Amino acid sequence: MNKYPSSGSISVGDQLPVMRKKANEAELFLYSAASFNPHRIHYDRGYAHHEGHHDTVVHGPLQGSWLTQFVTDWAGPKARLISIEWQNRASAFVDEEVQFSGTVVALDTLESIVELEIFERKADGTILMPAKALVRLEER
Amino acid sequence: MSTSLIPPESLARVGEVLEGPVTVPIDRREAQRYAYAVGDENPVYFDEVSAHAAGYRTVTVPPLFITHALVPPKSAQMLREDGLYQDATSIHLEVSRMMFGGEEWDFIEPVCVGDEITATTRLADLDQKEGSKGPFVRLVRETTFVNQDEQVVARSRQIGIAR
Repeated sequence: MNKYPSSGSISVGDQLPVMRKKANEAELFLYSAASFNPHRIHYDRGYAHHEGHHDTVVHGPLQGSWLTQFVTDWAGPKARLISIEWQNRASAFVDEEVQFSGTVVALDTLESIVELEIFERKADGTILMPAKALVRLEER
Repeated sequence: MSTSLIPPESLARVGEVLEGPVTVPIDRREAQRYAYAVGDENPVYFDEVSAHAAGYRTVTVPPLFITHALVPPKSAQMLREDGLYQDATSIHLEVSRMMFGGEEWDFIEPVCVGDEITATTRLADLDQKEGSKGPFVRLVRETTFVNQDEQVVARSRQIGIAR
């Protein structure tokens, strides 16, 4: 029994398992370093306040990479991400838990391609990023 | 009709190459630092056997890593007060604030460690829209990523919102 989805094992309307993420100061710093991004709002709380942010801001592309992980963890290593898009609606902050949820909205069983609608939300339900992805599932 | 936030000389730049072409090798350690930094410890990014089993030539990289692999080294002399670099390619607009609106990615061929990726970024689109909070400008920077075999491996569209 394969633990990853195939076009025969899923249906439109299926929900993906929820993924939770949270970045502390050290993790935000690591992402700034790994992406060579010196923008002060991601590590300097005082400066983030000065720019009108509630706290140190989680990088948009870090949340983008959380999003791709949400999809690839579900789809499995033999699946291939075809496309992904997201909108940045609101900022996430340091130590704040965010939640990714997704739904299968279309399924091409001939090509094993699935379309996902995804939301990243804060604990209070505020949408941080609405997103869409296309994935080719493992063929067998 | 509100006044234009886009000066004609900026509008004339649509289609212009803003950055590149620049070629960089996809480095295993850099890619793995990125994977750890985003908390994605998928074995296909770390282990040859897992990568082969998943159908990759060799160890692959997190999908969005390529954009960071291409970030040019810059002198700290170029840092501004906010920590961002002075950007010679920035588009002049009659606005006070630029925000990240989102991104759109197409992944066409796998990217593996050892590949040589060439990236070219163009100003793909620049237009003024009316929003609920007044007029804003939507600016699209499109990057095409090509590998050593001249295959387009990915395209990204980064959407900036300026008001």
